Amino acid sequence: MNIIMKRTLLFTLLTMFAVTAAAQKRYDEIKYPKLNEFKKANVEEFQLDNGIKFYLVEDKELPLIRVTATIRTGSLQDPSGKEGLASITGELIREGGSENYPADKLNVLLEDNAAFMSTFIGQGSGSASMNILKEDFDELLPVFVDLVSNPLFPEDKIELSKTQRKSGISRRNDDQGSIANREFSKLIYGDNSPLTRQIEYATLDAISREDIVAFHNEAFVGNNMTFGVIGDFDTKEMKRKLEKAFGSLPAGTENNLIYPEVNYSFPSTVNFINKSDVNQSYVLVGHIGGLRENPDYAKLQMMNQILGGGFAGRLFQTVRTDLGLAYAVGGGYGSNINYPGTFSLFVMTKSSTTAQAIDALITEVEKMQTNPVTKKELDDARDRFLNSLVFRYDSKQKILNERISNEYNGLSKDAFDKYVEELKKVTVSDIQDVAKDYLNPDKVQILVVGNAEEVGDQLQKYGNVNEIDISIPTPKSDKAEVSGDATKGKEWLGKMADAVIAPGTEFSSVTTSGTLNQMTPGGAITMKSTTTISYVDYSINTKLDTPQGTIEMEVNENSGKMMMMGQEQQLPPAMTKPMITEVKTGYLNIALNADDYNAEYLGMEEMDGKNYVALKVEASNTVTFLLDPETALPAYSKTSSFNPQMGKEVEVLISYSDWKVAKGVAYSYAHETKLDGQVSSSSKIDTVETN
Amino acid sequence: MRLYKSIRVLLFSVLLSGMIGYQASAQNLAEFEKKVTEFTLDNGLHFIIIERHEAPVASFYTHVNVGGADEPVGNTGIAHIFEHMAFKGTKYIGTTDWDAEKKVIDEMDKTYKSWLQEKFSSNPDENVLAEKWAKFEELQEKAKTFVVNNEFSEIIQNNGGTGLNASTGADLTNYYYSLPSNKAELWFNLEADRFKNPTYREFYVEKEVVREERRMRTESNPIGRLIEEFVAVAYTAHPYGRPVVGWNSDITATTIEDARDFYDKYYVPSNITIAIAGDVDPKRMKKLAEEYFGDFRGKGEIAPPVTTVEPTQRGERRFTIEGNSQPIMIIGYHGVSDSDEDFEALSLLGNIISSGRTSVLYQKLVEEEQLALQVAAFNGFPGTRFGSLFLTLAIPNQGVELDVLEQRIYDEIEIVKDGSITQEELDRARTNIRAGIIRGLANNTGLALNFASTYMTKGDWRDVFLQLERYNAVTLDDLQRVANKYLIKQTRTVGATVKTDS
Repeated sequence: MNIIMKRTLLFTLLTMFAVTAAAQKRYDEIKYPKLNEFKKANVEEFQLDNGIKFYLVEDKELPLIRVTATIRTGSLQDPSGKEGLASITGELIREGGSENYPADKLNVLLEDNAAFMSTFIGQGSGSASMNILKEDFDELLPVFVDLVSNPLFPEDKIELSKTQRKSGISRRNDDQGSIANREFSKLIYGDNSPLTRQIEYATLDAISREDIVAFHNEAFVGNNMTFGVIGDFDTKEMKRKLEKAFGSLPAGTENNLIYPEVNYSFPSTVNFINKSDVNQSYVLVGHIGGLRENPDYAKLQMMNQILGGGFAGRLFQTVRTDLGLAYAVGGGYGSNINYPGTFSLFVMTKSSTTAQAIDALITEVEKMQTNPVTKKELDDARDRFLNSLVFRYDSKQKILNERISNEYNGLSKDAFDKYVEELKKVTVSDIQDVAKDYLNPDKVQILVVGNAEEVGDQLQKYGNVNEIDISIPTPKSDKAEVSGDATKGKEWLGKMADAVIAPGTEFSSVTTSGTLNQMTPGGAITMKSTTTISYVDYSINTKLDTPQGTIEMEVNENSGKMMMMGQEQQLPPAMTKPMITEVKTGYLNIALNADDYNAEYLGMEEMDGKNYVALKVEASNTVTFLLDPETALPAYSKTSSFNPQMGKEVEVLISYSDWKVAKGVAYSYAHETKLDGQVSSSSKIDTVETN
Repeated sequence: MRLYKSIRVLLFSVLLSGMIGYQASAQNLAEFEKKVTEFTLDNGLHFIIIERHEAPVASFYTHVNVGGADEPVGNTGIAHIFEHMAFKGTKYIGTTDWDAEKKVIDEMDKTYKSWLQEKFSSNPDENVLAEKWAKFEELQEKAKTFVVNNEFSEIIQNNGGTGLNASTGADLTNYYYSLPSNKAELWFNLEADRFKNPTYREFYVEKEVVREERRMRTESNPIGRLIEEFVAVAYTAHPYGRPVVGWNSDITATTIEDARDFYDKYYVPSNITIAIAGDVDPKRMKKLAEEYFGDFRGKGEIAPPVTTVEPTQRGERRFTIEGNSQPIMIIGYHGVSDSDEDFEALSLLGNIISSGRTSVLYQKLVEEEQLALQVAAFNGFPGTRFGSLFLTLAIPNQGVELDVLEQRIYDEIEIVKDGSITQEELDRARTNIRAGIIRGLANNTGLALNFASTYMTKGDWRDVFLQLERYNAVTLDDLQRVANKYLIKQTRTVGATVKTDS
């Protein structure tokens, strides 16, 4: 060690010593003064003859007044097939304006006064609120009353809302987290539960203005309304104004919100949803949860604190801090008021550590069961809760909100105080007991939304991996249903079947080879192709010689894969399903199974100057053939399918020509496909072989 | 422990911090003069105390004038990594034996640096790399044995602390939480300790946490990917073009020594402002400030300024990024910093054309023509300390081609350039800003955040209210002038996400 270094060391030591000498006291040596007294706000309560309940709190800090109505209604009441009705109604009360204040007038009036009004209907409750400067109260209160009692629901706003919601539907698979939470909820409560139903293109189309008007009329009546009013006002005067403004609303009848029965059988499942453009897996693991009224509620909440309670929870400690596996991790045992909650743990981790993270989650649950938590963990968790209680009532708004929420949910005024008392009594063994009683780490459902290629086979060790199809159900075509002559239809279908397949001919698969000409945004690509289609199990095997090399595709009704340059890639259902549909609605399959299908004769139809027999066949999808009246061979077929990228129904028109017969089977050696009038591909066939 | 990232947060913060401070009467300012006490310690650290005795609670907010824009080349993301490290404890919190731990940490960092050197050498030797990595991992495991997991955060939470968090943006880093007001001294104790004695504990594990945060917010998120690419294309030279979370390889390259250098330069008293709002006694706060922060290092030191100036853009830039999601488009124009006299006019312009149901972009493109699900224009991205962007975010309805929507946005901007905005629209925007300010003063956290950040950027918390004068001075001619000056094709960048297979 040279002298300079020694000196540096000495200097460093001295500095360190100096710092230590002047160091501040330790945090645990601080003596805290007593917490200042805190007056809980006074809540004034009254009810009108029409059933409306009011809760008033004066808060003079700022010159504002907020009025919020909680409405007993919800999307739980959406009729099946009209999912979205409650939500649209809630949105349009505000968006459509009222009879005296139509949308344009209302928007200008509110924005000129920096006032907000909003209306909303969620799953188990609705709301209508206004937030305004106090000097505008007398002017805007009648506007608000008119809005909630006489909404206009103009057709153009209904259409706008539907268009926007349809765009929303088309985007619902863009975000990993929303996919995961939506699909996990279906795993827990079932696909068709009112708790998990989705708004679809078709359900939006089914909603009429009359439905909306009726839904509003039933929900927005006195007996369903509870108002909270807070702000800079005098209670006595406010009472008078509210009585006058809301007194004439109809009383109506109280809505009975019915929550579905949840039957859960604790299945162990492993589920995967592929999202090719992510490099992180969104993982959810869990099973059904419980009810708020459970006597073990307080114990379970303490268990949640220790397992997944923020920075201090074990999940955060282990999965994030120790293992560095995630930024976002957490979860717990959910207890709902009206229906069982969900026990779920979540983690977002890079694809390659998906299984490691799942194991870590499950291990933490198991540890809660096998070992008691430490006394310190429990005391800390309780301290966190009790010491932060003051924040629960740190504003008058919070006090009012809790009061109304208890009232709406049928909880007693002191529900929370009782819960606090119970929390104080929870013991170390209580935590282990509820962990054992309520958590089933060996009977969980696992859902991963991630990148299939990167995740690989990590999930297989948990069991059979079920790939969930999240493709968006396509809307029914808005084209008018045409119906025709069924007897004549069956007759022509028989003729077509005999023309395509000579009676007595048997085959199970067809192999064709030829040249495919595919249009792409970059121009046409020509490639040699060989395809074998099995008409027994509807599997397709295709080999394409492309400029980038040979591509092989294997597709069946459940899945599909593509092999290219030694790489294997799963094909999404969005891609494979239309291929299967095309085979099923192809003339060969229709001819093979002609007896199973109903058909209608739609009359003669002209196409490119020639007249054809129009024959509509109800196969797996509806297909209309234009038959040559002489030969009964199809010259064209028409189907329509929903194109998710274009967001609309697309008409697929295929023309068939150059018919040749071999071994009793007629085959079109030249066909061309048009999508909405644009040529998308054409094929020339060289050889056809039936087996 | 998060980033100013999503557009929604961005919009909110623009509305809140950029626009708030527009006040009709001097009444509010006079009222706050009575409630606010401020003082500067000898070392230059500034405190703002806002009394609000509504409930026995208080919010504590530390604003550091350093963000992604200040980072050295090759260490993008370091401001954010440092922010994460500020939760790792001090010399006695979070450790069983700091002296022993420190030796291991130093050794670990040295090993990591030599691994980096080998890895990025012209001809890295795999065996040497593996050997160094094994040694690094061994030291990392050894360092872990001293760690008391998350003790720092737990002390805060066990004492009733809520809202514990921090965030890093292009311009700033902030740290905040609330406590029952009788525990104010705990905040002084812990805050002083963590910024006087950073330990860089668990540094390399935490970098992996940060990488997961990057995957979550940027790499696996369509809008996150688009924004990262957007600023990278729009800025050629200025650090606003870099991601605040850092490039992945820069996260790899950043060492404890880098973080220490960063701290030494930027965490000096002149670069920090602290605000406390709630049920507190200013005299006691001052006494505690002197006791705990009086010996804070770096008296008289000034953090290095950003000297790079973005050169004038010479033509429109366009790009697309491929993904598996529905299209989103961003159109951005180079604008000004918040110290420029045109800043308020541009902010008002964005507000008038796209905020609220009466705005022209909403009425025409969302409501009448139904081309867009959403269109939002706002000024001041990704930060406002330096020349920033005026952005328009557009989300098309399904079936609407991006170029159709893009052209319609330009059409409407052209009409604005011809002077279509009315006095009524300008007045309405001002009224809403005025009300926005009142609504923003109703909670401790909002007060502390606004007052501290305004002091840091404008030199006076009163500017929260005094900004009004500047907004009031904006005329219709100004709106037309700034639209014509800044919203031009030459300095425009247009980026969009497109489906991989289309």
